Amino acid sequence: MSDRIYLGLPGLATDVTTLKEVFRYRVNMYTIKEEREIEPETFAHLVSSTLYEKRFGPYFIEPVMAGLEKTPSGAYKPFIAATDLIGCLNFAKDFVVAGTASTKLYGVAEGLWEPDLEPEDLFETCAQTLLNAVDRDAYSGWGAEVHLITKDKVIKRTLKGRMD
Amino acid sequence: MEAISHAGIVIGVLSKDGVVLAAEKKVTGKLLDMSGATGGSYGGSGEKIFLLNSNVISGVAGITADANSLVNYARQAAQRHLFSYNEDIPVELLAQRLCDLKQGYTQYGGLRPFGVSLLYAGYDPHYQFQLYHSDPSGNYSGWKATCIGANNGTATSLLKQDYKEDISVEDAIELVLKVMSKTMDSTTLGSEKLEFATLTLDASKQPKAKIYNPAEIDALLQKHGLGKKEEGDAAAPAPGDLTL
Repeated sequence: MSDRIYLGLPGLATDVTTLKEVFRYRVNMYTIKEEREIEPETFAHLVSSTLYEKRFGPYFIEPVMAGLEKTPSGAYKPFIAATDLIGCLNFAKDFVVAGTASTKLYGVAEGLWEPDLEPEDLFETCAQTLLNAVDRDAYSGWGAEVHLITKDKVIKRTLKGRMD
Repeated sequence: MEAISHAGIVIGVLSKDGVVLAAEKKVTGKLLDMSGATGGSYGGSGEKIFLLNSNVISGVAGITADANSLVNYARQAAQRHLFSYNEDIPVELLAQRLCDLKQGYTQYGGLRPFGVSLLYAGYDPHYQFQLYHSDPSGNYSGWKATCIGANNGTATSLLKQDYKEDISVEDAIELVLKVMSKTMDSTTLGSEKLEFATLTLDASKQPKAKIYNPAEIDALLQKHGLGKKEEGDAAAPAPGDLTL
């Protein structure tokens, strides 16, 4: 969505494309009017209200977002959030999951995650959680993609998973 | 129409590799809080030059309230186009969208027209760099160099004299600043009276709008020998420069 906000959209493929475009529209309008980049928390509320607009005919999507928010002192603080398909926000301190493997993801993440992980350890935790949860899920698999967002760069890694 | 002929002047010059816009600010004074005017590449919070889309900047002359409303409409129209076609809006289409709106207000009773003239400086892959002008009636036309606002007759004739077909952006910037210094009421040019923006292509051939912030404007004026240093003889030609 921006250099420091990433959004995952698991769900109906047509809604993924549509929502990607809707959010681009709204983030662009925000940026041009406010003359600054949108903050992750503001973006989370934008996602929430966009989804709730379609309360009685929702997009079949459960968004997950991650980003770095600017603190008043100018430093960056990690941020994650997720919503359900009608925009109920969940600002978690530890982890957020969504998709067909979400039940399994909860279990593995609960076991592997610990507070204040360093970037590379966080990547390993995330990668292991994903690969192991997905192996227990019939609907998802065939590899994974992990974006590690740090204050001066974003590292994208493509993981190989079981192909059966 | 009356408001426009009293408004601060806005000049636009087209070149092969970019478009240049400059505008004269009328609302000034040392008590005016300009801390909100950041400039840069986001929106342009000045009084007269705005970013409409990543590929279009505009300069406005006339009733500021009407202009703000039109700028908002243009930004929405541009994003709507991006949403529908996954492409930046062509410059002429954006000018057309605004003119359709403006024309509507001349036709239906009960409402007054928008008291605003606009210059649109933009880029699209089909026609490269373009410069358009639209008036309150909804007429629009494309130009190589044009201006709106007070003293636009003087500025037009200066532009006519000095515009060359194969002008570069650098020369266009110089031309715009020179015409600006000759037509503005004040004797010295400075960032408190001037807004300035360019639209060029970046290394990856994507349009790049740059709305100068006050410090950058002063640096630019200094570079072209029109800055405050030469207090009192700002209109005099810089060493080595020919008179307009």
